[in-house]
Amino acid sequence: MATEAGNRPVRIWDPLVRLTHWGVAIAVLLNGLVIDEHALAHIWIGYVALGLLALRVMWGFVGTAPARFSAFPPSLSAALGHIGDLMTGRHRRHDSHNPLGALMVYALWGSLALVSVTGVMMESSPFPAASDARVEQYETREEDEHDDEGEEILEEVHEVFANLLLLLAALHVGGVILESRLSGVNLARQMVTGLRETPRSRRE
Amino acid sequence: MTAGRKDPGHGAGDRRAAILAVLLAVQALCAVFFVGDVITDFGRVGLDLHTAFEALVALMLVAGVVLGGLEMRRTLERNQRAEAALSVASGAFVELIDSYFARWKLTPAESDVAMLALKGFDVAEIAGFRNAAQGTVRAQLARIYAKAGVSNRTQLVGLFVEELMGGRVHNAV
Repeated sequence: MATEAGNRPVRIWDPLVRLTHWGVAIAVLLNGLVIDEHALAHIWIGYVALGLLALRVMWGFVGTAPARFSAFPPSLSAALGHIGDLMTGRHRRHDSHNPLGALMVYALWGSLALVSVTGVMMESSPFPAASDARVEQYETREEDEHDDEGEEILEEVHEVFANLLLLLAALHVGGVILESRLSGVNLARQMVTGLRETPRSRRE
Repeated sequence: MTAGRKDPGHGAGDRRAAILAVLLAVQALCAVFFVGDVITDFGRVGLDLHTAFEALVALMLVAGVVLGGLEMRRTLERNQRAEAALSVASGAFVELIDSYFARWKLTPAESDVAMLALKGFDVAEIAGFRNAAQGTVRAQLARIYAKAGVSNRTQLVGLFVEELMGGRVHNAV
């Protein structure tokens, strides 16, 4: 009767981690695939993504134990070890991101930071006023010749890293599916509920 | 045996943490906006009273987000500790019940019936769970009451309530 505590689901992701994760995911998908890059909404969504990223980075210093950077340090050797574990069918429990996932997290955050910061810098003010005149001005600006070379570099970086971000996101989803299959732990559901349920057959 | 029992800790504490997280997200958004605004203003007009004040506002917002985050972590950790304590307490309570059952020398079947009775199921329900006749369950309950030295279910439950309250009020009544 006292064994009940053994298979209780463990809390791993707190509400702030889940909120920022899914918020950023939606923002990236919307801005990258759905919304026209010249629409005003594109800027707003970019700002939201940057805000969420800033919050998550702050949480990496003061957040709950699994959310802190110290819980998932970037380590190439650990990531290689994790790949070895997966290949040999061994499953080790990780109290935060697994080492391979950690590398992906940093790559995603780095790209997102570059994309959102260059996006903000391309605007002269944080938000173009939402008046019709300004919007029109904004929308027609693409036809203007860019006289500023710096702006062109910004746009280039913005675009390259936006594409990289989408590519990494796709890899991230693939990695989550693969890891979930191999380890028997549904990582996607874990990010929704915040609870980790250890599969019965694989408890160590 | 624990069917229908809700996992503790999925209640008010979690909801409060979720609301805090949303608030922090909005605050972070405002902070990013203000920091961006300060930087552009500073690049445009340099440091005047207006940008200085704006910088202060932005700084305070960032500080607010960080402090709010720290507060939220404390809330989450407290929730988790309470949850762990509760699970230890409920485990300890089950142990206590088991030790009483052992002291009364209940048979395994009687222990099962006694546990179901403690959980508040009536004779018909217990008979259903155990695939037994109601008469059998009634006889088992009578033996349990006799072994425990009580005369009915209320008194049986009372034994454990007393234990929970930590006092020996039995003799005073």
